[in-house]
Amino acid sequence: MNTAPPQRAGVAGSADAVAPPVRAADWYRRKRTREAMLVACFLLPSLMIFFLYRILPLGWNVILSFEYWSPLKAARFAGLDNYAEMFLEDDVFWQALTNTLIFILASPIAILLALAVALAVNSDLKGAAIYRTIIFLSYPLMSVAVGIVWRWLYDERGGFINFVLRGTGLIKEPIPFLQSFGWALPSVILADIWQVVGFYMIILLTGLQSIPQHLYEAARIDGAPASARFLRITLPMLRPSLFICAVIGILNSFTAFDLVYVMTGGGPAHATELLVTHIYNMGFGETRFDYAAALTVVQFTLLVILTFLANRAVGGNAGSVESA
Amino acid sequence: MQKRRDVLKLAAGTAAASFLPKKLYAQTGTKKLSILTWNIIDMEPLFKQWFATFQSQNPGVEIEWLDKKGPELPAFYQTQLAAGTPPDIVDIQGGLGLEWAGQGALLDLTPMLDKEPAVRARFNPEYLANWVFEGKNYLIPFYVSKSLLFYNKPLFKAAGIDYAPKSLDDILSYAKAVSGADRTGFLTLNFDWLYWPLFRMQGVDLLTPDLKKPTFNTPAGIETADKLAKATADGSINKISWTGRWVEPNGAFAAGNVGMMHAHSSAYFFVKTQGSWITPETIGIAEVPGYWSTPNSHGYAISKGARNPELAWAFLKFATEKSQAMDFARGRTLTTANAEVDKDFLAELDKNDPTAAAVLRTQIEHTDKLTGNWRLSDDSAVKNIVWAEMQNIFLGRRDAKTALADAEKKVERELRRT
Repeated sequence: MNTAPPQRAGVAGSADAVAPPVRAADWYRRKRTREAMLVACFLLPSLMIFFLYRILPLGWNVILSFEYWSPLKAARFAGLDNYAEMFLEDDVFWQALTNTLIFILASPIAILLALAVALAVNSDLKGAAIYRTIIFLSYPLMSVAVGIVWRWLYDERGGFINFVLRGTGLIKEPIPFLQSFGWALPSVILADIWQVVGFYMIILLTGLQSIPQHLYEAARIDGAPASARFLRITLPMLRPSLFICAVIGILNSFTAFDLVYVMTGGGPAHATELLVTHIYNMGFGETRFDYAAALTVVQFTLLVILTFLANRAVGGNAGSVESA
Repeated sequence: MQKRRDVLKLAAGTAAASFLPKKLYAQTGTKKLSILTWNIIDMEPLFKQWFATFQSQNPGVEIEWLDKKGPELPAFYQTQLAAGTPPDIVDIQGGLGLEWAGQGALLDLTPMLDKEPAVRARFNPEYLANWVFEGKNYLIPFYVSKSLLFYNKPLFKAAGIDYAPKSLDDILSYAKAVSGADRTGFLTLNFDWLYWPLFRMQGVDLLTPDLKKPTFNTPAGIETADKLAKATADGSINKISWTGRWVEPNGAFAAGNVGMMHAHSSAYFFVKTQGSWITPETIGIAEVPGYWSTPNSHGYAISKGARNPELAWAFLKFATEKSQAMDFARGRTLTTANAEVDKDFLAELDKNDPTAAAVLRTQIEHTDKLTGNWRLSDDSAVKNIVWAEMQNIFLGRRDAKTALADAEKKVERELRRT
C-alpha cells in the first residue's frame, strides 16, 4: 500500500519527525495570542474609558488653549495669546499660583503630623484603635460640610475659635480669620490639614506595620538608640508611603476647590484663590473656556513636574513593582 | 455560543431602542419642551399643575423640567450650550441674562413682544427694560426683587436714632452710633453687586453711558470707598459685608447684633425665620437713600438653540398670565413684575402680613433707579476686577486712590479685549 516515492516518504517521514515540536510551538503561540487577546479584551473597556474621558479631553484642552473659543462662537487660532495674557497681564493667575504652591508646601506639615499620630497609635498606647478611628473620621466627610463647619468655627463674632481665644485671654479683639488677607489662606490650609491628616495617618500606619520587626530587634541588640532606629530603619522603610502621601498632598492642593469655594470663594480679593478656583471662575464665571484651558495646561504641567520631583526625592523608583 | 448571540441581540436591541423615541416623536407629532429653573424645587407641585394645564391646552407636548441649585445653574447651562443641547426655556437671575444675551446664547424676544402688545403690557416697564441688550429684549420677568434697607428698631432706639437714614453719611453715622461690644452698625449683601447703590447714591457710576470707559475712579468714588473702608476698620460696618454671601450676613442680622442691613426682599423672609427678635414693631423697612437699588430678579429666557421656540414662547405667555403669576406670588410671597398681579397680591398681603407687604411694596416702587447691572457681554469680568480692588480697600489692604486707579486700568484693558 505504500505507493509513495521513497523521497516523498522520507520528506513525509522527516516532516512527521519534526511535526510535534512545530505544532507545540504553534499551539504555544496560539495560546499566547489567545491570552493576549483575552487580556486586551479585559483591558479594552477601561482603556477606552480612559482614552475617552482622560486623554481625549486633555488633548482637546491643549488645542483649546491655543484658540479663541466659547460655546457660542466658532474657534479661531489664537497662537500664544492666552498664555501671554496669563503670564504678562493676569495678576490673579500669579496670586493663584503662589497660593497653590503655598498650599503644596503645607502638605509636609500634614504629613509630619500624620507621621507623629501614626507612630503614636502604632505603639502600645492604650485605646490606640479608638484614637485611630477618631482621627480618620474627618477624612470621609464631604469637603463642603468641612468647609461650612470651619467657616462657622472661624467666625469673627460668634465663632468657637475666637470664643476660646478670647475666653482664655490669648487675644483681646476677635480675629477675622476668613476676612483677613493674612489669616485667610492659613485658615483654609488648617481646615484642609485637619481633613486629610487622618488619611495620611492610615497610609503611614500601613507602612509602619509592614516594616519587619526583626530589623528593630537587630538594631536594639546592636545598641542603636530610638532616634537612630527611627532615622535608619523607620524613615527609609516608609519612603513609598511618604511618596504616596506627598503625591496625594500635591493632588489635594491642586483640587481643593470645594473647601476654598465654600469657605472663602477665593477671597478676600483673591487672597485664597487657587489655580483650580481661578480656572473655574474663568470657565464658568466669565465664559472664557479658552483661557481656562490655557490655565489648565499650566496647572497640569506643574503637577507633572512636582510629581516627578517627589518621585526623585524618594529615590526615583516609587511605585515600581519588584519581581521575585 | 448561544449565550454570546443572546448578549449581542440584547446589545443591538438596546442600541436600536435608544434611537426609537425620536422616530416615535416624529410619527406621533409629540413636541418636547425643556425648562431649566433656578433653585425653586419647592414649587414642584405648582409647576406640575401648570404643566398639566399647559399640556391640556397644547396636546402632544411633553415637558422636561430640571431645577438646579444656586451655583450649579450657570455651569450646567454653559455645558448644555457647549454640547449644543440648551434647554428651550431657562430661568436666569441677576445680570447674567444680559451677559448671556451679549454672548449670543438667548433668543431675541422683541419681535414676539411687539407682535403681542398685551403680553408686553403685563409687565412693569422698568423691570422689563432691565433685560434689554443693544435695543433687544431677551428676558421677561418671572419674579423680581431689588435691594432695600432693613433696620433694627430697638438698637436704633437705644442709640437715640428715630428715623431711617437719608444719605450715606447718615448710614455711616448711625452705624457708628449703634456699634460697640459685639454689635456692628451696618451690613450689606455684596453678591450680584447688591452693594453698588452705596456708590450710586454718591453719584458714582461704573461706566460711561456708552459702556466704553470706566467712570468710578473719581474724587467721589475715592471718597466713598474711603468712607466705607474707615467704617469697616472701626467696626461700624460688619466685615462680613465684604466677604459673606447669603447665610452669614443674613444670619448676623437675624442674630440681632446689627443695626442695618442692605439686602433684597428675599432676605426678609430668611431672617424672619431665624431672628426671634423680628416682629412688625422691631424691624424697620426703608428705601436706600436716593432710592437706588440693585435688582436681583429672575427672568425667563428662550435659548437661541431651542428646538421649539414657538412652543417655548407659548409657555412663557402662559406662565406669566395673571392666574399663574398670582399662584406663584402667593406660593413664594414675592413680586412678579406683572403689574396687575403685584397690585392685587399686595392688597391681599396687606390684610394678612402687613410687614411682608411693606417689604414687597418697595420692590415695585422707584424702579426707575435700578443700578448694578451693565449691558455687557463681559459684565462678570468687569465686576470681578472692580470687586477685588473694592475688597482690598474695604478690608484695609490698599488705599482707595491706588486701588481704584489700578482697577480703572484693568477695566480699560478688559473693555479693550472685548
